[in-house]
Amino acid sequence: MSRFEIGDRVTVREATTLFHHRTQAYTRGRTGVVVEHRPEWLIPEHEAWQLEDGRVEPFYVVRFHQRDLWPDYTGLELDTLETEVAEGWLDPAGEVTQ
Amino acid sequence: MSMSIDDQRYPVLMATLRRADPAPPEPDRTPAPWEANLQATCECLSWRGTLDTLERRHAEDTLGATTYADFPAHARAAVVTAHALLEQGEISERELETKMNDVRARFQQA
Amino acid sequence: MSHDHDHAHHAPIEAADEVSEFDVLETAIRELAIEKGLFSREDHRRFTEWAERIGPHGGARMVARAWLDPEFKRRLLADGTETSKEVGINWLDPTGTGTPSDNTYFYVLENTPAVHNVIVCTLCSCYPRPVLGQAPEWYKTPHYRRRVVRWPREVLAEFGLHVPLDVEVRVHDSNQKSRFMVLPMRPEGTEGWTEDQLAAIVTRDTMIGVALPRAGWTGDRSPAATPRA
Repeated sequence: MSRFEIGDRVTVREATTLFHHRTQAYTRGRTGVVVEHRPEWLIPEHEAWQLEDGRVEPFYVVRFHQRDLWPDYTGLELDTLETEVAEGWLDPAGEVTQ
Repeated sequence: MSMSIDDQRYPVLMATLRRADPAPPEPDRTPAPWEANLQATCECLSWRGTLDTLERRHAEDTLGATTYADFPAHARAAVVTAHALLEQGEISERELETKMNDVRARFQQA
Repeated sequence: MSHDHDHAHHAPIEAADEVSEFDVLETAIRELAIEKGLFSREDHRRFTEWAERIGPHGGARMVARAWLDPEFKRRLLADGTETSKEVGINWLDPTGTGTPSDNTYFYVLENTPAVHNVIVCTLCSCYPRPVLGQAPEWYKTPHYRRRVVRWPREVLAEFGLHVPLDVEVRVHDSNQKSRFMVLPMRPEGTEGWTEDQLAAIVTRDTMIGVALPRAGWTGDRSPAATPRA
């Protein structure tokens, strides 16, 4: 069951991790909008450690305004960036987990 | 599998760069045949569980900015892959040196 | 495996030494790995043969067909993974070996008058190889990967592409198991063209998002600025 719906505003966690991860540093602590659901996959952290019984976790396509990602963004207000984020890396905007 | 690629210098790998001033990379240089062979080697090493592609790419970025900063960009996959295999103990420096001498001698006869 | 040592052009002695030393290193790594059972000679041959087969033909064919056939376009945008089979590409087994780096999902990003898409993989240069072939050298450099997410309009301008001020530039960072391709808009001057004629102007760069297709242009441009490593 997916936690987030299309249109939800979400914030990427700041969590540090020793695991191999695919959550880019430039998205940490940033807020965007869920625009799509992705199929449920083994999360990459577990793939890297080759655990066959890794959790299956929902993924989301999150769209950010570039001006929210980069403090000195030199492009236009309407520019965006999309990337895929695992549910475990997301909080509802405004309810950030430390 | 866990692996750390630390910032060690292996003489056998540093010696592969003979030029003091490497040429800047061309925008559309045509890859040499050995580069395609190396890419296939990297795929196989990842597929068969020795050296994960994402780890190797991270290492290319970090070691490419430090230990192998003087190396041409197109050579980094080669030296970093070798570096990782040495680091992991899959091959030894002596084995690599011996094999390279053998290969070099064969190539010079060709 | 057979190895071609015909270094046809006569570069300076130093350059030839440098090239051949990496060549020696590559061969040494491969032979040691095979001797130690890290992979087999057959494994390696399958990858080199697959790499030689792939190119941007599949992607170009899908773009051209989408321009001509609205139903195909609808299917392509709804399910790129499945629709790729219509041009002979199976994303879940592209090499016949099911390798981890290619066993992925495929999404096609439609350019519109309001949105221009461009793709990158900041983490490791993932690329939709089954439909586009091997990634260009510049795509793999930190120079591209780090800059296009942060200064996309400047990077596109280096490729000669100036996106209008009322068009959103949307960067897609393929950091997970999805692979992307851009479906550019059909250019003017192509009325009445066949699928083959249209496919010929859909270049690799137009499907990455750093160029726009044009009637009469079938090459890929190099970036105006020399990419640093």
